Amino acid sequence: MSNDTPETRDTTGRFLKRAAEKAHDLHTVSDEGVHPMAKILFGWTEAKHIGAIMFWGLGLLGAFLIVLDLFVNRHDYFTFANSTGFYGLYGFAAFTFVVLMGWPLGNLLRRGENYYGDAGGPPADVDPDRPQGPADVHPTYEGDE
Amino acid sequence: MPDFLTALNPGWLLILAGIVAIFLPMRRLRQGITIAAPLIGIAMLALADQNVNHLTASVMGLDMILYRVDGLSFVFGIAFLLAALLNAIYAWHTDNRLQDGMALAYAGAAIAAAFSGDLMTLFIFWEITAVTSVFMVLAAGTRASYFASMRYLGIQVLSGVLLLAGAAYVYNNTGSLSMKAFVSLSEPGALLIFIALGIKAAFPFMHNWLQDSYPKASVVGAVVLSAFTTKLAVYAFIRLFPGQDALIWIGAVMTVFPVFFAVIENDLRKVLAYSLNNQVGFMICAIGLGTAGVGNALALNGATAHAFVHIIYKGLLFMSMGAVLYRTGTTKASELGGLYRSMPWTALFCIIGAMSISAFPLFSGFVAKSLTMSAVSHEGLTIVWLMLLFASAGVMEHSGIKIPYFSFFGHDSGLRVKEAPFNMLLAMGMGAFICIAVGIPALIPGLGYEWLYNLLPYREEAMNYQPFTFDHILTQLQLLVLATFAFVLLKRFGVYPPEKPGTILDTDWLYRKIGFGMAQWAGTVWGKVGPAMTAVFFGLTGQAYDRIEAAFSPRGELARGGLTGAMAVWTAALLGLVLLLAFITVG
Repeated sequence: MSNDTPETRDTTGRFLKRAAEKAHDLHTVSDEGVHPMAKILFGWTEAKHIGAIMFWGLGLLGAFLIVLDLFVNRHDYFTFANSTGFYGLYGFAAFTFVVLMGWPLGNLLRRGENYYGDAGGPPADVDPDRPQGPADVHPTYEGDE
Repeated sequence: MPDFLTALNPGWLLILAGIVAIFLPMRRLRQGITIAAPLIGIAMLALADQNVNHLTASVMGLDMILYRVDGLSFVFGIAFLLAALLNAIYAWHTDNRLQDGMALAYAGAAIAAAFSGDLMTLFIFWEITAVTSVFMVLAAGTRASYFASMRYLGIQVLSGVLLLAGAAYVYNNTGSLSMKAFVSLSEPGALLIFIALGIKAAFPFMHNWLQDSYPKASVVGAVVLSAFTTKLAVYAFIRLFPGQDALIWIGAVMTVFPVFFAVIENDLRKVLAYSLNNQVGFMICAIGLGTAGVGNALALNGATAHAFVHIIYKGLLFMSMGAVLYRTGTTKASELGGLYRSMPWTALFCIIGAMSISAFPLFSGFVAKSLTMSAVSHEGLTIVWLMLLFASAGVMEHSGIKIPYFSFFGHDSGLRVKEAPFNMLLAMGMGAFICIAVGIPALIPGLGYEWLYNLLPYREEAMNYQPFTFDHILTQLQLLVLATFAFVLLKRFGVYPPEKPGTILDTDWLYRKIGFGMAQWAGTVWGKVGPAMTAVFFGLTGQAYDRIEAAFSPRGELARGGLTGAMAVWTAALLGLVLLLAFITVG
């Protein structure tokens, strides 16, 4: 939007116009296809060394929560759950176990995508303007011989 | 309110509006109806007296209670109506008469079932949910979805048939169809109903209809499906089987096993379907605990509160994945990533849903799950409690991290699409608002989590419970922060399994491969044996005919020359026999 408002306009009008322009900018996607809100909400995920920051940040936060546990006299129904850092360590162990089980289970249970026949692409009500992948030339369908 | 309005079950209103919508070609008018009907339903429900039979009927000697509201059904009714409202807003950009109408009728059937006061009425609406919901899968229009919908319909109708058989058995034994809690499963009627409900709640080994059909449904259809069927089963379990010990273990297993499937599944809508399984497990486990005293109130409140918040946040997560599917045409984790650049609002709402389902403090899952966890530990069930805690870390993995991370962050897929349509964002925003609004402390008395606790069936016990204690918050944060740290650690060292396209085998393999194979084999065998048997049959009958013809036909043995003599002898012999019989019987 060009700013061709005559200088004679009163300041409230200019203020509203600027606000409107600002609002317009906030939902106008840039040429690279990036939504302006993305920078505001999640720009921090593109920071340099974000991986290291997350790693050390979460590690320190976790350590802090466990240390905090030392000073709190919790009263769980189970005595073992009252031990310092039980929840944190259990959560860590459970999460790691589940994820690492993904390796053997994936090998055991994963079959080809068309194991039961071709899934037949996306449902009918998707956006017709969506980016198109390479067309499937000879689809075979589930139930076909 | 006029009498006829107080007697009208809000579910019926939605079903009627749904039927009208199917035949209404004017798009905006139709969609106006789909939004107005749930709003009117909420108003009707808010004004309805509780614990009164608003509408009864006597059909063929059966006393049916068609509309009855009490503390329990009220919560489910409100949740279903809210879900119907959000779904209607979410579908605003579509133009599909059948889907609009059937979605509304499906919601209506679930609501009407929740407000039914006897097993026969429950059965009728139970079946209507099956028949209307299948259109959500069919709406996808692919052949795979057609086959999935037929499997889905078969299993849903089976559930209904078992429910009817159980109800008939109960009626025969007791002469009553009222919705009383069953004491034991040893009675065949109770067992049949238990299995019928178990199928709809997707018990382990009966669960695969869910993962089979929901991810193949249309964009809007999957959102609609996520709210009603399983939660209706949860409602029926609270009503009919509270404190049933078997449910504790079934529920605990249900929370744990989907976690492993969700880790390796590539289709994110299927991950959500597994996650749905896991969440319903928490509710089922809680229902099993409800025996007596404090534990009972805590556990049943937990199941009810969990169902309410779950309907909203699972809907929200399905909506966000639906928006991704709508814009990109896929929900495969291996093809997505980095979408926050194009769809930041969707990403934000998805994260709110993810934090709610992971039960972060200040989000709705926390205030509901705390009740269940407290009830389990209150009963001293160590192993069950450890299983549920394990599953809580699992939820963090598949719904808390995997869903948002692999679609919106992680490796940039290079997909640059438009943000979701405004109506989708509005529906997601409303869902996200509810997730936070019922998850925060009651800064103003009666709002925040207290609003939800006020609705629960055991209101006083609920209001005495404090979710925001320092203990709860600290332990929950420890669990979640260190689980997240585990994710970052595993990613950093490259041992997190990569997302690969593929089909993950589950119990549906038994009927889709073995069962299908056996049916094919039986078909082949029949193709060969059938004609052979026909040949044998015609051979035998042909021979018999030939013999009969040889004896009795005009050219046959008996028609030959000696006929008259032979006939006279035969007639005389028969006459003698008859006379002899008459003589003996009369004498």
